[in-house]
Amino acid sequence: MFEQARHGVSREVSGTAGPLTMLREAIGEALSRRRLVRYLVAADMKKRGSDTLLGNLWWILDPLLQMTVYVIFVTIISNRKQIDYPLFIFAAILPWKWYQAVVTDACSAVVSQAGLIRQIAFPKIVLPIAVTTANTVGFVWGLIPLFGLMLFYVDRITPMLLWIPVIAAVQYVFSIASAIFFAAANVFFRDLGNVVGHALRLWWFLSPGLYAIDHLDQDVGFVRDHHWVQVVANLNPFAVLFTAYRNVIYGGSDGLTPPLPPDLLSLAILLVVSVGLIGLATIVFKRAEPEFAKVL
Amino acid sequence: MSGNGSGPGPIRTGRGDAIVTEDLGVQYDLRFNRKTAMRESLAKVVLRKPPERFWALRHVAIKLAHGESLGVIGPNGAGKSTLLQVLAGIMRPSEGSVEINGAVSGLLTLGAGFDQELSGRENILLGGAFLGLDDKVTRELLPGIVEYADIGAFIDAPIKTYSSGMRARLGFSIATAVDPDILLLDEVLSTGDATFREKSKARVIELVRSAKAVVLVTHDMNWVVEYCNRAVLLEKGAVVLEGPPDEVVQLHLDRTAAAKAAKEAAARAAGLDPRIAR
Repeated sequence: MFEQARHGVSREVSGTAGPLTMLREAIGEALSRRRLVRYLVAADMKKRGSDTLLGNLWWILDPLLQMTVYVIFVTIISNRKQIDYPLFIFAAILPWKWYQAVVTDACSAVVSQAGLIRQIAFPKIVLPIAVTTANTVGFVWGLIPLFGLMLFYVDRITPMLLWIPVIAAVQYVFSIASAIFFAAANVFFRDLGNVVGHALRLWWFLSPGLYAIDHLDQDVGFVRDHHWVQVVANLNPFAVLFTAYRNVIYGGSDGLTPPLPPDLLSLAILLVVSVGLIGLATIVFKRAEPEFAKVL
Repeated sequence: MSGNGSGPGPIRTGRGDAIVTEDLGVQYDLRFNRKTAMRESLAKVVLRKPPERFWALRHVAIKLAHGESLGVIGPNGAGKSTLLQVLAGIMRPSEGSVEINGAVSGLLTLGAGFDQELSGRENILLGGAFLGLDDKVTRELLPGIVEYADIGAFIDAPIKTYSSGMRARLGFSIATAVDPDILLLDEVLSTGDATFREKSKARVIELVRSAKAVVLVTHDMNWVVEYCNRAVLLEKGAVVLEGPPDEVVQLHLDRTAAAKAAKEAAARAAGLDPRIAR
């Protein structure tokens, strides 16, 4: 609106635009406000580092501590002996922490800017985009402890690690779709923030993070008897992502196969689906956007 | 979203008009207000309760030429701030239309959008980005804003360390620095210390004089009579009177006094001390 106004006449009438117009509008807004996204990301970085004693060091320590907890926990309760288990789960913990942070922060992305939204007209779509991008920095920091950990498993260091950015890019696209959706939904349903924490935890345990997906039908009787469970489990985006990360970082799920390329077909399908989800989430977001200032 | 009212009417825009609203209405859907939990809205969907709606503004027709200064007055909850939010493009009309000719700058609630953790300088840059200004433009404006706000070394300290007066001053200088064609002000004349109040008054007068349109929401009737060349009285979302400031202000004062007298009479009839029942 401000953009239009600066070039002359702007006219706001009641009624809503069609989905395609909304999509085109949102893409234009996101592209023209890249600098705003950059500023928001920089502001976020600054705040995160400033209020804890160890600052950004937590981005390195946090995934390592979480890995330690799971290694202790799973070693006690599981019969399966997975070779090099710390690296096996770290390959999943790292991307999961990223996604978890994106969704959690997305829930407050619009709500926390209530003051601004009631004061200035700007495209709100930049907020979930900024949140996702800011958390990507956390993921990149997490690669430091990953390489630290890999020093203990030198024979698993291969050029396959170069696939990580490709897999992360697919995850980024999926994360953007989630962030846009949750940012809009939480404005209207504030309880979402509470629900999401638990839903994410359930999703993590249902995803092959602590175990490999092809161990599912060997280890779990219910899955062995009901083949469809395995099929459904494979449709989980994080089954695709975790398996891809694990392939390039750790290798085959038997622990003996050295690192191998990810399954590009499933990644490509996930990418296409994610792009579709972004479109869907954006339409939801744009439909809700005019109401933000009234509800906040 | 709830635009099921009359469609956009024909526009008759004069050359000098800065703002034209026609049959403007803004409707709130109370289902989703701040306190509503998921449980309640689910219950409402299941029980098929009719949506609770209310019109914050309805049938508002205002025309403002460049160079004019419009004072918006009325009791609390009359829709004054909603009107400014629609003019600023923050809210979309639920019915009718708004036409704006020129760049708008809004000072709706001073400093409410500042990021507490960032410094004043960073907030200026971020604010410029939110307003869609070019980075180069913001950086050029920066020294002027800092100087006008007159907050000294605090410009590099986080906003959370500012006093409310400093916050207001910074907000005012940001909003007026962008040299808008149309300036929207909400209760800004009563912020800051006496010195800054004089300074901001002078700046607003200057903006009005330099052929900028100003829409001002205020409870300061003296200001409206003295500096606005038009005024509009809003009550319960509708325009009661639009016209010369002294007439509109007089009507507002009369109606306020009448409302107060009626309330006191009712209280007296109920056997209460009118001084308490106010």
